Amino acid sequence: MLTIEEWTALRLSLQVAACAALAAMPFAIAAGYALARWQFPGKWLAETTLHLPLVLPPVVVGFVLLTLLAPHGPLGAVLLRCLGVKLVFTWVAAAIAAAVMSFPLAVRAMRLAFQAVDPRLEMAARSLGATPWRAFFTVSLPLARRGVIAGTILAFARSLGEFGATIMVAGNIEGQTRTLPLAIYSFADRPDGASAVWRLVAISILLACAALAVSEWMERRANDGAP
Amino acid sequence: MALLEFQCRHRFAGGFELDLAFESDQHFTALFGPSGSGKTTILHVIAGLLRPQAGVVRLSGRALLETHARLCRPPEQRNIGFVFQDALLFPHLTVEGNLRYGIARAEKKPRRVEFSRVVEVLEIGPLLKRTPHNLSGGEKQRVALGRALLRNPQLLVMDEPLAALDDSLRARILSYLESAVAEWQVPVLYVTHSQAEVRRAARWVIVVSSGRLVGAGTPDEALTQPVPLAWTNSTGPVNLLRIDRLDMAEDRCVAHIGGKAIIVSAGGPQPQAASFIQFRPADVMLSRGDVCGVSARNHLQGQVCRILTLESSVFVAIDIGQILWAEITQQALTELQLAVGCQVTCLLKAHSVGLA
Repeated sequence: MLTIEEWTALRLSLQVAACAALAAMPFAIAAGYALARWQFPGKWLAETTLHLPLVLPPVVVGFVLLTLLAPHGPLGAVLLRCLGVKLVFTWVAAAIAAAVMSFPLAVRAMRLAFQAVDPRLEMAARSLGATPWRAFFTVSLPLARRGVIAGTILAFARSLGEFGATIMVAGNIEGQTRTLPLAIYSFADRPDGASAVWRLVAISILLACAALAVSEWMERRANDGAP
Repeated sequence: MALLEFQCRHRFAGGFELDLAFESDQHFTALFGPSGSGKTTILHVIAGLLRPQAGVVRLSGRALLETHARLCRPPEQRNIGFVFQDALLFPHLTVEGNLRYGIARAEKKPRRVEFSRVVEVLEIGPLLKRTPHNLSGGEKQRVALGRALLRNPQLLVMDEPLAALDDSLRARILSYLESAVAEWQVPVLYVTHSQAEVRRAARWVIVVSSGRLVGAGTPDEALTQPVPLAWTNSTGPVNLLRIDRLDMAEDRCVAHIGGKAIIVSAGGPQPQAASFIQFRPADVMLSRGDVCGVSARNHLQGQVCRILTLESSVFVAIDIGQILWAEITQQALTELQLAVGCQVTCLLKAHSVGLA
């Protein structure tokens, strides 16, 4: 079926996408909730910044990340000094790139989910003695959970396909940062790579379809108001 | 030291301004006024769901809000049970989960309100395993009331909890509320724009209009004040008199009100459970002298205490021990030469009087 190289690319892709989606989830929940519930000065600026990765060329995002995370970059230097880790050209950098690129999609889904929850339910919880945190975790989050899961799956699907930003910060190192899209790109360059390309393309399409279907199903059930 | 002290000044971005102060010592206080008069805002300030620009809220002397001292306790530290207009049950929890939500977080002190007793008094046992969207409006409100009670609150505030229900259901829920208040002695602040609810349940009424205090007093005092009440809903005043006792004979039913006997057309589902009689002001005839030879069974003597003109009708308030309203025409008013202080006889057909 698949060669070892192809298996490695698939496994790496799933690992990177899963880590990216899960790591971004808490931040996306916080951002989605804040945008759905709060009015604050500079909200438009926050929204614009959040949506930037959707419209910027991925290579530009990758370049910005590379500048930040490089051993001499502002963030990379701190990480190197405090933790002794170098992120660029590792799978972690690929996951960070994927998380940043898929963040707007996740936030959008979660924002819609929180907007669908009556904010007065939290007032009711507060009047019953719950702190704001408690009210969030026992009322708003459980009621928005389908949207939150749908957003996470969407982010996962988007991360599987990340290419431009990944190749900038993580490179295209076989076995370390060569995810499915990068593998397809590499195989397409080889004279004998056509059959491998087709196999990986088919896998990519299958994965994307499955993720979208689950995400869509979740969101539809959320809209139906199922308990 | 009053049970509840309230002062608030708050201007909303839309221009509406709430500026009023009141105190209440009574265990069942109604906050009465037309829609949009600021009643819900008052409850939100009391419960801590809205922080006003300036204000003071004290409950039995304990300060919950003192903006001049920069004190504003969050809602979870106020120990005030809130019943919302549309119940606001948590849709992802069962009825039991909803009821128990506040228990765990109730302050650690001897429990006055026991879970099993609440379930019993409010008759929600059969509903415990159901989810809120399978409940009727009346059932939702009972659960919401139970949920607020189980928090063991020092004060129960209710925001038009019966507005969405029909009349017969409203009377039933009110009697649940009355028994709950009697059982646990929880003071209640009850927002409504229904005169019938005020007459039925409240011992003290605070009247607000356009964000200002209009008056306060017992229901009889407050509901005969000239300015807002008859106008708050276009139907005019209503007659709902509390009865002391009800005698049932084979062919007739007699309600006793402060020594007066009123013959009532028997009927209705549970006449014995009734604690009020009701009739329309238009069904009351007035006479200046004694009358004989009329078919109307009830002749009640009283004194005119207020005369209000509302559109084409004249409403006359007569004190017969409780206040009773009669609706007459402008012409009748002139012919009878009615004025405040006049003695009149109210004629009321037994068939016009119902039990509630």
